[in-house]
Amino acid sequence: MKPELPMATINFKQAALELLPKGANFEACLSCGLCSSGCPAAGIENMDPRKFIRMAMLDMNTELSTTPWVWCCTLCRRCQHICPMSIDVSALVFLARGNWPEDKKPSGIVRSCQLARSNDSTSAMGMPPSDFTFIVGDVLEEVRAMQPAFKHLQAPMDKHGAHFFVNQNSREPMSEPEELAPLWKILDLVGADWTYSSKGWAAENFCMFSGNEEAWREVVKTRVDAVNELGCQVWLNTECGHSYYTMWQGIKRFGLEAHFRLESLITYYAKWIREGKLPVNADWNTKGIKFTVQDPCMIVRKAYGDAMAEEMRFVVKTLVGEENFIDMQPNRSANYCCGGGGGFLQAGMTEHRRTYGKRKFDQIAVTGAAYVLTPCHNCHSQMIDIGRCYGGHYQVIHFWTLICLSLGILGKNERMYLGPELRALLA
Amino acid sequence: MSSFPLHNATRSGEAILETEVLIIGGGVTGAGIMRDLALRGIHCILIDRRDLCAGASGGNHGLLHSGGRYVFTDPHSASECRREGELLKRLAPQCIEETGGMFVAVDGDNPEFAEQFPELCRRAEISCEALTVTEARNLEPLLSDKVFKAYRVPDAAVDPFHLALEHVNHAQALNGSVYRPHMEVLRFEKAGGEIRAAICRDNRTRTSITIRARQVVNASGAWAMNIARLAGCTDVRLLYSKGTLLISHDRMAHHVINRLRPPGDGDILVPGGTVSLLGTTSTRVDDLEMVVPTVEEVDRNIREGAAMIPALAAARYIRAFSRVRPLLQTAGTAEDRAATRGYALFDHATQGVTNFCTITGGKLTTFRLMAEKASDLVAARLGNEQACETSSLPLPDGAASRWTDPGASPKYWYQANKPDDMILCECEMVPQSAIDQIIAGAPGIAEEMTLEAIALRSRVGKGPCQGSFCGIRICSYLYDQGHYRDAIGLAHLREFLDERFKGQRTVIWGQQAAQLELAEALHCGLLGLDTLEDGRSMARINDPAGDAHE
Repeated sequence: MKPELPMATINFKQAALELLPKGANFEACLSCGLCSSGCPAAGIENMDPRKFIRMAMLDMNTELSTTPWVWCCTLCRRCQHICPMSIDVSALVFLARGNWPEDKKPSGIVRSCQLARSNDSTSAMGMPPSDFTFIVGDVLEEVRAMQPAFKHLQAPMDKHGAHFFVNQNSREPMSEPEELAPLWKILDLVGADWTYSSKGWAAENFCMFSGNEEAWREVVKTRVDAVNELGCQVWLNTECGHSYYTMWQGIKRFGLEAHFRLESLITYYAKWIREGKLPVNADWNTKGIKFTVQDPCMIVRKAYGDAMAEEMRFVVKTLVGEENFIDMQPNRSANYCCGGGGGFLQAGMTEHRRTYGKRKFDQIAVTGAAYVLTPCHNCHSQMIDIGRCYGGHYQVIHFWTLICLSLGILGKNERMYLGPELRALLA
Repeated sequence: MSSFPLHNATRSGEAILETEVLIIGGGVTGAGIMRDLALRGIHCILIDRRDLCAGASGGNHGLLHSGGRYVFTDPHSASECRREGELLKRLAPQCIEETGGMFVAVDGDNPEFAEQFPELCRRAEISCEALTVTEARNLEPLLSDKVFKAYRVPDAAVDPFHLALEHVNHAQALNGSVYRPHMEVLRFEKAGGEIRAAICRDNRTRTSITIRARQVVNASGAWAMNIARLAGCTDVRLLYSKGTLLISHDRMAHHVINRLRPPGDGDILVPGGTVSLLGTTSTRVDDLEMVVPTVEEVDRNIREGAAMIPALAAARYIRAFSRVRPLLQTAGTAEDRAATRGYALFDHATQGVTNFCTITGGKLTTFRLMAEKASDLVAARLGNEQACETSSLPLPDGAASRWTDPGASPKYWYQANKPDDMILCECEMVPQSAIDQIIAGAPGIAEEMTLEAIALRSRVGKGPCQGSFCGIRICSYLYDQGHYRDAIGLAHLREFLDERFKGQRTVIWGQQAAQLELAEALHCGLLGLDTLEDGRSMARINDPAGDAHE
């Protein structure tokens, strides 16, 4: 998939001077290789972060401008995190991605970006606002009918002045609508004043992954406008990693005017548990089923840092019992990307993606956990895929599933990601 | 072709080598003479006390002068540079980057001096194009806004190591001529007004070797006076001028940038692939050994260089190095830079030796001409009538000699795209197959290649890690391959790192200090190199032979 020359080449050394913060340019590189040792993409396409830096220093601009490795780096920034000189390779990988002609970029990523721009939803799966509104209404009716305890359940749409603007990953309304309701029930239980929006409701943003800054800006702008228009105070990011990052960075990068705060659902799970609004506990886990947690790069290392990782652990430990929680090593901000990030899942490079994911698979396998919890859809899909590929014995689940399970309100059709032992517990 | 019995053993077991011409000194001149004579069918042995380009040949800017530098002080040298530069660009393009050069005058420089420059260039037939200040700064964005005059001349960058390696390589291929590093002349055996043999010591093995030759050429650069005296000749009189240069981490300019003023400190900046070389200072010294850079010299270079390119003041520097230029002592020379940069060929006819000559002085740009003159004399003395061919015959491009070029290794590695071909030097992207090739076929290879010898024949250790990581990795690789046993590899590693440190110590500050801490932890904490006991290594430290390789 290497693009044919001539293709515009980037002067990476020059770009580094302009892009990287002062004191973090390539000149400071010690060539120590910590970046590469900790990079799951090291070795793919015979490349790694240190080679990227050295090739930039050696003016190998043509090679760097055309290497497909830029689509295998997930922009997870673990290299920068571990770098004694804090050099950000991903900024240059991002630049290289943007330089590829659109028709040479991985078509899955480009297509997802095109779809996001095809209507006001900004959904990477192209779901129009009317379909979204319809599905939400449809699922709501079904829950009200099937789950007597929630016959009053609300899923507000375009409610002006609601406190929370809750975004939604397209995967649920498009292909697993039954996964929508658990979060609604949680929001109902804590008495949250929330709304969906028919405009700019979607979470994902593959335009960012495609390196197309203008498209990234456009998608984020639509979302910011939608929140501003509804007059919500908090844009509450669902269990999706890059959706937070793309909004947070997009607003800063493009100088957009946002009259609201950005928050993560994890923060509120933890808050509501502490406030007693979500009276979850681990009493249900009578069999001592073991759990681990995957820290999404996009909200832990790249955004909130370890504070968010601690909140996740507080929530998980409360849900499963301290003794039933086993951390991966390394973890928190030093965690490895699973290989689902950066658009890799849509890049059509399955073999490379699974090679990348092997490190995550091994990390999970060592914990011996039966379940991996993660508040990120890309992590979720990738860990399921590598689990199947490498013969793992673990399941990957959303937080909302386990919260509802603990509260005894998980509907019968909301258990698709549960493994046999949890299904047995509920039976 | 000659077929000399190279190795003979005397009854006492002492090694004897025989050849037609013994050349002392593995700088570019010595290597040039070796090839020149081999092209005339004459067998040579080239020896060096250390290794190729260990003296001034390897310790300069790597500047192929257009001649512009000398139009004020030495018009003859200027013309010579112009001619030789043109020849080399045509015949040895693989060793040269045609960067072009600029002469720039900045506020405070004498405007009249700047005005004369084009006319002086014209007289020396050096092409000189006047640039507007805007044009100059478009070509070189880092140029100071205080530049008021700029000219473009055909300066270029040349890699002296690549040159020397190719010359030796070619000579070996032509007629089996031999290059022996680490070979130091202790004394000469003379009889009947002739040198019969040179009694040498192999500084690695500490063994004594006798080299018998019909002619002996002294091409030992700054050491030429010492070697001549060993032969009983007192007619070579040299002054020693120490020059200190700096290597920046980044390439700061595309052209060679010269200050348009009478030659002074820090007024030339030359690109060397991905880096730049800034220098030089000029200090008279009496001693040829223990020539190391000082912080004061480093500061002076940066201060002066920053007048042309202000970014030099804050640039990261990889290392500094110092060498001694041999200057021919002529009557009434007060200023070293004003002393002639010409060369001299001594036939020593008045000294009672008839088969010995000395060639010294000069400069990198004119090395071929110097080699031609010396070779003409030697060939005539041997009765060989073949003409010199080096002014018309292109220099071959040998596979094992190309690794000193900064671009060669990374491009080779990337194109080969072999995941198993592990990169051993990450900074300069030198894979193990390149190391294999150097060990198998580079000129001057020994049975037990030191890391320094490999570094001299490649880019290993030249990058920002300065050997911290690649030294360990290559050393490990050589152990794995069975080249090193016991503590030998560690001793080589220590010597290699000692040399790199010598270059770093005057430029370490800020973030680089942190890097040095890391290196120390690796080398002393992890490998215990500071407490390593090795006879040869200790001997070496007590025998401070010259300066670091670049």
